[in-house]
Amino acid sequence: MSTLESNFDQIYKDNYPKVFRLCQGYTNGNEILSKDLAQEVFIKVWQNLNSFRNDSSLSTWIYRITVNTCLIELRKKKSVSIKGHLQHLEEDYEECSVEKELQLNQLYRCINSLKSENKSIILLELEGLPQKEIADIIGLSHEVIRVRLHRIKNELTKCVKQ
Amino acid sequence: MTEFKDLKSKWEQQPEVEVPSNGLEDIIKKITFLKYKQRIGNVVLLTTVSILIGFFFYINAYSNGLVTFALSVMIGSLLIRVILEYVSIKELNQLDVTTNTSTFSAIMARYYKRRINIHYIFTPIIMLLYITGFVILLPFFKSSLSEGFYTYILVSSICILVIMVFFIGRQIQKELHILKQIKH
Repeated sequence: MSTLESNFDQIYKDNYPKVFRLCQGYTNGNEILSKDLAQEVFIKVWQNLNSFRNDSSLSTWIYRITVNTCLIELRKKKSVSIKGHLQHLEEDYEECSVEKELQLNQLYRCINSLKSENKSIILLELEGLPQKEIADIIGLSHEVIRVRLHRIKNELTKCVKQ
Repeated sequence: MTEFKDLKSKWEQQPEVEVPSNGLEDIIKKITFLKYKQRIGNVVLLTTVSILIGFFFYINAYSNGLVTFALSVMIGSLLIRVILEYVSIKELNQLDVTTNTSTFSAIMARYYKRRINIHYIFTPIIMLLYITGFVILLPFFKSSLSEGFYTYILVSSICILVIMVFFIGRQIQKELHILKQIKH
């Protein structure tokens, strides 16, 4: 394995779980689609690695690629149905686990009802990123993100309660 | 009562994500495949141009001014369409995904606006040129081909045209939908 490949392998291992989970947020939790998207993200990471200039942390840079890739790829596809995913869960899991998954799916559904930029902001917040980093990824000021987050959190909480 | 922190804890309780063991290999394979696909695309484009130019000389099209003009218009309009698509695809693949989302959305919106302009301005002109070339050739086809073959060419061309309009229409609808979503 070349140095470039082994560096990339490390980047891949360190970042795959968070990239995958963020992609799940855009796909209503659809695993197959999320895997495809995560692969697409790492292809772009590989193709652009030479242009990474340490202006931001590597993780922020990868999050930017993830958000942009998910937005562009999902616009090309039809909306992702959650129905098939739920049927599969009802067949395979115990009642308690199903209940938990149903709650999570309700959360996914509510996230997907948000405007695309708000969706990205709340997904990054759920992943535990500091507001400053979210502002850097989205390209808005810290203040705008703070105000917007407050509004989205209320909207999301209200939606999940319904 | 559901609070945002409950939602966050629900989000955090999701199962751990396993890193695919052959992930790196798959990515390198896909990158190699993409490069290969691009090379195939170039070869197909060059072969098409060569065949069209070869056909032009094979039928001695240059010996008749009007046939030369009609064929040149048809071949030229097809080539312009193919080149426009090729440049567009290349441009899409080169969009800077490493920039922030607001800038990226603006770049995407500009790209799709250009695409819509291509569809609404260039595509009708190209199709009109292609049809004009074909119509100019019809009397030559009629005089040199059997009636059956002439009818076949006429009917199949109309069918191809209808199918092409249908697919281009669908593509325009799809790209308009994407542009609407970007603005959303």
